[in-house]
Amino acid sequence: MATLREQVLRRKNVMAMTAETGADTGGSELARTIGLFQLTLFGVGATIGTGIFIVLSQAVPVAGPAVIFSFVIAGTVAGLTAICYAELASAVPVSGSSYSYAYATLGEGVAMVVAACLLLEYGVSAAAVAVGWSQYLNELLDNLFGFDIPTSLSQAPEQGGILNLPAVILIVLCTLLLIRGASESAKVNAVMVLIKLGVLALFVVLGLQGWNSDNLSDFAPFGLHGVWSAAGIIFFSYIGLDAVSTAGEEVKNPRRNMPLAILSALVVVTTIYIAVTLVGVAAQPSSAFEGQEAGLSAILENVTGSTWPATVLAAGAVISIFSVTLVVIYGQTRILFAMGRDGMVPPLFHRVNPRTMTPVPSTIIVAIVISLLAGLIPINFLAEMTSIGTLVAFLVVSIGVMVLRRTAPDLPRGFKVPGYPVTPILSIAGCIWIIQDLRAVTIEVFVLWTAVALVWYFFYGRHHSRIGHEHALGEAAEFRVPEEVTR
Amino acid sequence: MTLVVGFAPDGRSRAPLHLGAMLARSTGEDIVVGAVVPVPWPPGVGRVDAEYQAWLVQAAEEALTQARARMPADVEATFTVAHARSVPAGLLELAEQHEASAIVVGSSAAGGLGHVWLGSVSDRLLHSSHAPVALTPRGFRCTPATRVTRISAAFGGTHDTDDLVVAAAGVAARTGAGLRLVSFVVRPAAPVTAGVGLRAEEPVSAEWVEEIQATARTALARVEHLRAHPPGLETAVGHGETWEEALDDVEWQDGEVLVVGSSAIGPVARVFLGSRASKIVRNSPVPVVVVPRAAAEELAEEAMQAEPRSG
Repeated sequence: MATLREQVLRRKNVMAMTAETGADTGGSELARTIGLFQLTLFGVGATIGTGIFIVLSQAVPVAGPAVIFSFVIAGTVAGLTAICYAELASAVPVSGSSYSYAYATLGEGVAMVVAACLLLEYGVSAAAVAVGWSQYLNELLDNLFGFDIPTSLSQAPEQGGILNLPAVILIVLCTLLLIRGASESAKVNAVMVLIKLGVLALFVVLGLQGWNSDNLSDFAPFGLHGVWSAAGIIFFSYIGLDAVSTAGEEVKNPRRNMPLAILSALVVVTTIYIAVTLVGVAAQPSSAFEGQEAGLSAILENVTGSTWPATVLAAGAVISIFSVTLVVIYGQTRILFAMGRDGMVPPLFHRVNPRTMTPVPSTIIVAIVISLLAGLIPINFLAEMTSIGTLVAFLVVSIGVMVLRRTAPDLPRGFKVPGYPVTPILSIAGCIWIIQDLRAVTIEVFVLWTAVALVWYFFYGRHHSRIGHEHALGEAAEFRVPEEVTR
Repeated sequence: MTLVVGFAPDGRSRAPLHLGAMLARSTGEDIVVGAVVPVPWPPGVGRVDAEYQAWLVQAAEEALTQARARMPADVEATFTVAHARSVPAGLLELAEQHEASAIVVGSSAAGGLGHVWLGSVSDRLLHSSHAPVALTPRGFRCTPATRVTRISAAFGGTHDTDDLVVAAAGVAARTGAGLRLVSFVVRPAAPVTAGVGLRAEEPVSAEWVEEIQATARTALARVEHLRAHPPGLETAVGHGETWEEALDDVEWQDGEVLVVGSSAIGPVARVFLGSRASKIVRNSPVPVVVVPRAAAEELAEEAMQAEPRSG
């Protein structure tokens, strides 16, 4: 029996990972086909639209108009962490989430912590986005048909409702699609990005009419502290930038293109966010943001005095947020799938339905949990919880980069962090600084969640770990590829 | 037993003749080549279209003469003109009269060369035939001595394909062809925005393949227990982002025939092409035989009682 130390530190053999994903599935070698421009578009497409539609009503009351600096701070930290992420991703020649990278480089224990963060990030952000969708749907129904979903069915209990029904319905719809095996194609993705950008451009152009400098006079009512706190909430709207890193294996000339793409996507996204925010905070006093639902749409309606721009914006938001929810739930099930194959969670999570070729049980379980979160928990809490999950995952990744440089300096890396060791240190510092400014309850819930995950690891994962069993059988080095029946 | 081969009276379609001959040569069956001409309408009134009818029959007979010339000599074939309200109805009637073991038809001229393309006739047959339907890719040709060398059964890993496998095995054993179970994994690339890597689908596919290989092995074990079993047993999996890619991913040989089962949601007795089967059919580079469930059951039963081939 392996000692606890050995168990926590055991790493997944990279060869085995390759065999698991590549060798027996035919298409193992992916050509490097993604160029700088395309990669930047990936980054912009993956990032925009998750947060900006819903985050202002939480962030502006905390920071005032100075919230635009919160975007810069959150963006900078997100960029630094994404660059660190890219190095870790390039060191491990398999494609996957930060969980897979952590497992291959930092050991099982850390991988479990990262997994806990990722589950939180994906699960909670899917819920947050679904709640945001429900707000825009309500706005759209109201504008089009003068029909309002009653509060009891469109709000979390804390806000005077019973259940956020539209959010739950959205999640059920996404689940059905995922079970059937739908997955957003590159074309659909491009259309969604265009819709999001078009909607935001519409907001900026029309919202400018409502510019009132008086609204900016009390620029930073809560000072620097407010700005940092808001950055923590906003960080959530930069999730997706790291998706660029996971595409590393297919990128042409990653050493040059990877940081450039992350940087360009960051600049584009931050510029758009700041433009939207500036127009928003200039259009109405900071106090008006508190509790405002379907924020961008509502502001547009007030500014223009007519409902059609708000309706168009709400429609765009309803369409694009739908696709975001689909993709986030998808990511969640695939992370659980990877964990299931490693033995970290019960085998149920990597059971594939022979007919649909999708992990049906895991998709359903994920959907139930996310539905409960989306139906019962208010959005501001969800947004913060997402941010902390992401921040801690990135924190671990940044530390991982430094650890790996020491423990495995010769490991071939497709991409190295420029400005080492300053970049990862800045990234770590940025993450910690933003985390400590989040609300105490968020941090407490997060610590509790991580503790639960670790307890789970000590009582379940540690004993069921697949590589643990293979070590015991003395065959860790060779991963068995199912042989073909040939007689 | 008999194979009914549909031959269009325009005389253009050679592919079904070639496939019919190849199948008949392998199974030792005889062939009925049928050209269908419309019945007079309205029936019996005045015979105003008698000349037209006579012309139609004459054209069909001329076509059959051509068919006769093209039919390889080693196959026993009869040629007949059938009268029916529609071509598929005529072929179905012929099949019933001769208790045909299969109906052989060609691809629509609208499709590309080398792929099966369903026209109005084959489409209708695929939704109403009681007998298996064999479809040729457009432009299918084979040399005069070609036999069926291997039968590939499309294997979906669920129990409704059990009978199909045994049925295919029985036919393979009878004709001396090998049996291969082919499965297709069609998964689009993971969305890049999910942040789980572009290859997040691969472990899922790998898991599915593991499972399907295990079921395929059990199915093949069952086949091995047959007293008369095919000379070669193998499995293959085709991967791709589209069905076309997945079918191209598998290697196909000359004289290969792909067998596809009828959907479990359709009626038991008749062919009913499911959504997947129809995608497989459309992208197949080799002739496809679609087998209704009842026919598969019957063939499976035969296969279980069959004695090993002598010689």
